[in-house]
Amino acid sequence: MRLAAQVFLSYFMVLIVAALWRYVPIARAIPDLVALSAVYVGLTARERVAPAMLAAVVMGYLADLLIGTPAGLLSTSAGVMCLLGHFVQGRLIVRGRLVTAAFALMVGLVSGAVLMALRAWLGMLSESMASELLTALFSALLTALVGPLVFRLCRKTDARFARTRRERDAAAEGLIP
Amino acid sequence: MTPLRRRILDYGMAAVLLGLPVVLLQAGLKDPGRLSGFDQAVLRISSPLQAAVSWVVEGVAGVWTGYIGLVDVEEENGELRADNERLRRDLGAARRAAADSRTLERLIGLRRETDAETIGARVVSSSINPSFRVVRLRLDRGDGEVQVGMPVIDDAGLVGRIHRVFGQYSDVLLVTDPDSSIDVVVPRTGGRGWVTGLARDDVSRCKVEFLERGKPVVVGDQVVTFGLGALPAGIPVGMVSAVRAVDYQMYQEVEIEPAVRFGSLRRVLVVLSPPPPADPDGAAPAPAVPARHMGSY
Repeated sequence: MRLAAQVFLSYFMVLIVAALWRYVPIARAIPDLVALSAVYVGLTARERVAPAMLAAVVMGYLADLLIGTPAGLLSTSAGVMCLLGHFVQGRLIVRGRLVTAAFALMVGLVSGAVLMALRAWLGMLSESMASELLTALFSALLTALVGPLVFRLCRKTDARFARTRRERDAAAEGLIP
Repeated sequence: MTPLRRRILDYGMAAVLLGLPVVLLQAGLKDPGRLSGFDQAVLRISSPLQAAVSWVVEGVAGVWTGYIGLVDVEEENGELRADNERLRRDLGAARRAAADSRTLERLIGLRRETDAETIGARVVSSSINPSFRVVRLRLDRGDGEVQVGMPVIDDAGLVGRIHRVFGQYSDVLLVTDPDSSIDVVVPRTGGRGWVTGLARDDVSRCKVEFLERGKPVVVGDQVVTFGLGALPAGIPVGMVSAVRAVDYQMYQEVEIEPAVRFGSLRRVLVVLSPPPPADPDGAAPAPAVPARHMGSY
């Protein structure tokens, strides 16, 4: 249930940002909300990673449908980000705005790199590598900016679906339950 | 199931789940336009939601641009209004300069064409008292040459006569002043009379006194100076605007509209000396002001 809620949250965030973004005077890049949501579910995966992976893949797939990217592109990237989150889970505590923003920047960069690699594999990269890198960098910066807010929303959602009081407090505090 | 096996199974499933979109991605490349039933269902649900979000966002954006954004528009409006005011002032000044320039051109032309000796003067104040129709002049040069009684003209006709002189300045008693008295003639009939102001504060008109009934005038007749004393002959004074002849009176009651527009008077000429006397052998005496300024005369 918790993961389903996270999938819905990610879906609505992408839906709203996709509708809002044309009013923002930054047409070059868009924050990678799917990567943030996927890394969050990876970070908060309890004993098993497979359910989190399923949630991340579904998040990516819905984003693919909403944004219009080739089906599977953001989905694969989201899966990778979920794995990344799961691997740093025991080594990193993502708490506080600054740390969250820095972590989101790293997520944005890795996600950008994964997406570029996938597009290169599919033969979809544009000719100008510099332009691609610049766009990825912009996207990572925007992801870093919105990262604390997205994580906060995810934690609030987690806290609402917590099974115990301890879990709820830990989720609200940003500690891994 | 041992924990290790469970973990292997978990990672295995995660790997399969991760591989699924990769397969999907590659398969989708062959036919990018194909949508599965699930895809279509998701899009059918998502599209109205996206449209609703867009509608709300556009509404908020419309409110922003229509109302809150008007704060800037108000500021811009103020700037534009100030610009408009400044440009209007500039335009007014340019129009006044152009009018002055036209007046000067006409006066220069008049001066060139007239035989009388004249000097230019600028009107520095105009009459505001209806009882005393006087304007003050600042002479361009030659203070000391101007004397009381000298006629003042502009390109339209007679303005008045010098009333007072003080240094570079002079007061002119306009023809519309009740104290003014100008010897005139109606060229069409040859009838003579005296023009004086009507002493009415609502109009700038004059009346012609002592105009004989035997030489009846009609509305529209020109009235010009007769040419007694310092006043040159033939300067337009005005046009007959009303005539009243009463049986028992010796003279006609005639009102004239002055030739000069006193409200827009800016530059004038002071006639220092009348034109030289006419050649006795010549056909006709030369008027002080050329015929083109005298209407039908």
